[in-house]
Amino acid sequence: MTSPANDRRKGSDTAPLLTVDNLTVTFQRRGQEPFRAVDGVSFSVRPGQTVGLVGESGCGKSVTSLAIMGLLPKRGNQVTGTVDYEGTNLLTLSDDDMRDRRGKDIAMVFQDPLSSLNPVIPVGLQVTEVLERHRGIKRKDAMPMAADLLKRVGIPDPNRRIKDYPHQMSGGMRQRALIAIALACAPRLLIADEPTTALDVTIQAQILALLKELVEDTGTALIMITHDLGVVAGLCDEVNVLYGGRIVERGDRHPIFREPRHPYTNGLLGSIPRLDTVGERLTPIPGSVADNLPWDHACAFAPRCSQPVEVCTTNTPTLEESGGRALRCFNPVEVAR
Amino acid sequence: MTTTEHEAPGAAGTEPEVLVDVQGVKVHFPIKAGVILDRVIGYVYAVDGVDLTIHKGETYGLVGESGCGKSTLGRAILNLEPPTDGKVIFDGVDIASLKGEALRTKRQDIQMVFQDPLSSLDPRQSVESLLVEGMQAHGLAKNAKEARPRLRELLKAVGLPVQALSKYPHEFSGGQRQRIGIARALSVNPKLIVADEPVSALDVSVQAQVINLLEDLQEEYGLTYLVVAHDLAVVRHISDRIGVMYLGSLVEEAAAADLYAQPLHPYTRALLSAVPIPDPDVEDSREQILLTGDLPSPSNPPSGCRFHTRCPWRQETRCDDERPQLRVVAIDGVVEGHRVACHWAEQIESGELQPHAVKAIAIDPSASDTLGGDLMGPASLTEAL
Ligand SMILES: Nc1ncnc2c1ncn2[C@@H]1O[C@H](COP(=O)(O)OP(=O)(O)O)[C@@H](O)[C@H]1O
Ligand code: SF4
Ligand code: SF4
Ligand SMILES: [Mg+2]
Repeated sequence: MTSPANDRRKGSDTAPLLTVDNLTVTFQRRGQEPFRAVDGVSFSVRPGQTVGLVGESGCGKSVTSLAIMGLLPKRGNQVTGTVDYEGTNLLTLSDDDMRDRRGKDIAMVFQDPLSSLNPVIPVGLQVTEVLERHRGIKRKDAMPMAADLLKRVGIPDPNRRIKDYPHQMSGGMRQRALIAIALACAPRLLIADEPTTALDVTIQAQILALLKELVEDTGTALIMITHDLGVVAGLCDEVNVLYGGRIVERGDRHPIFREPRHPYTNGLLGSIPRLDTVGERLTPIPGSVADNLPWDHACAFAPRCSQPVEVCTTNTPTLEESGGRALRCFNPVEVAR
Repeated sequence: MTTTEHEAPGAAGTEPEVLVDVQGVKVHFPIKAGVILDRVIGYVYAVDGVDLTIHKGETYGLVGESGCGKSTLGRAILNLEPPTDGKVIFDGVDIASLKGEALRTKRQDIQMVFQDPLSSLDPRQSVESLLVEGMQAHGLAKNAKEARPRLRELLKAVGLPVQALSKYPHEFSGGQRQRIGIARALSVNPKLIVADEPVSALDVSVQAQVINLLEDLQEEYGLTYLVVAHDLAVVRHISDRIGVMYLGSLVEEAAAADLYAQPLHPYTRALLSAVPIPDPDVEDSREQILLTGDLPSPSNPPSGCRFHTRCPWRQETRCDDERPQLRVVAIDGVVEGHRVACHWAEQIESGELQPHAVKAIAIDPSASDTLGGDLMGPASLTEAL
């Protein structure tokens, strides 16, 4: 690998690389009320830290990451709040400036690598392009560097594979290629949106090991977006649980799993069968997100909550911080499950 | 395995009753090329010689990664995919031999629940007509009115309100649609339900609701399940016995608890070690067996043991050229009924053989792309997430 051997700087005294503050994304919908997909989300990530955004489909994980990356469609939505990257509010950058950032400092890996790779350009060329354009490396030198990157992400026989088109690769290899492209710009921040969801579990294990190594070796900051609590447990330093577009609970991974305090987090943990425990009956969260109440004058989760109190359907719970954790709930779980 | 083996009253009087007996089943799909001549240029060996039995009242879980043939095997058991070779004996009768009325009656006994409830439900049909359809086809009701009491009972069983009858599939959430799919399967009083990835398109909270429902219905109606899925934790949770598939073959089969407690096949070991556990303490201390490279293409499976290209225990002899049979091994602590297809299972378990590094091979998927669709399971399952 070509990047300098950064020491791992994840001590809590390090300044955040990215700070998202009160991010709100509202979609206009024809003939309907506007829809707030992301609703006042705030979190930050430091170099060498992995921050997880976890929640079920539609909770706003992907929209959050697209808003940070400036990749939301230009029309039909409104983005407010700030996304501070070392003193610059990314939301105020011009398209050109943002495109430049995306290649240089910030990279993103999506769930579906096929849609984010260019189908008509060989994978190797897509890597060298990034090296040339964003790091000013000469074509001649870029080729061996690209092969080296492909090798590093675990693509066998990289000198041959470098000429392959995306469709000539398996899903796992494409996801690696995409990570290689992301690495080519030596990003200081990587956003991974369900990067292993479409992959088989043995391939997922390889990709997760790769991401972990990247964060540890180069001090890259990683925002990991996933619905899989198992992935979170193994990878994330800090966990943000999203529900209905809002963060409902935040904490470091050990305390969050050991003592979930929000009924939703607790309910999620009771819903997943575990490979390492004997089949006790699952305790699902009843209903579905279709039952949500509007946050404006209630807790959105109230109709599905195991322990709502009266105020839950009349007032909005706020996100309260204490002891390194944050919680949005009127009646938190005292004893887990 | 011989045809009559299960019918012979075994030595022990407690022998479980066999409902499905799969004997040497193969399903090979031709790969065609050429616009005019339609030449067959090869085969996808989706299922390549599987023997297994499913007992009455149990849940048999079939797991494996995309392209391993688990869904095709499930469909072959329903005869939706007529086997290229081998046979499926259901309730004592060879399914392939049935025709006309007899086939219809048997079909009624085996129902299917699909992964994506929406795609298997006709969007223009109300729930009532969706449910009545199957009952009419099997002569269980003449019309909707006659079926009414039964429909109410069905909806109650799957946890939907009676008002659901007059609604259409798109008016329901994913979990509710899966309940409709299950009600539809139940409507004709089947003996066996084949569920292919029944919960993988659902969010975890809803997934748990459906898992519990399947368990309750099994108890109430004495159903037998074959659950096909890629999620090992889900399969372990609901199954009594589990078969692990790799490239068209069963590589290991055991009671769910035994498989987890003592996986014997190198692939099963790797698979189990790769599943993330939602517990940071467990995650911090676990040892993973990371496999390198891809799953080989089922149109060009490796010789000998199909796992040898990725196996960390592969040996100079036998692995590359001799196909291991699914067999019972004599290892202390391994329970009867635990079968494994590895030449070296004993030596690996004793520690005599140690894992070594494997050089990865990348696989060109385009060879089997023409058939991709249902062979590549998980890729599309979780799209909704
Ligand atoms: N372009 C869009 N127009 C309207 N609504 C959208 C758009 N993109 C996403 N949404 C909605 O925003 C919500 C959050 O979506 P998303 O961030 O993709 O959720 P997640 O990634 O957590 O599954 C969903 O209800 C989704 O339907
Ligand atoms: S605020 Fe009330 S309804 Fe919402 S999660 Fe807490 S207890 Fe449940
Ligand atoms: S037979 Fe050989 S290659 Fe196959 S699983 Fe056993 S040790 Fe590995
Ligand atoms: Mg998403």
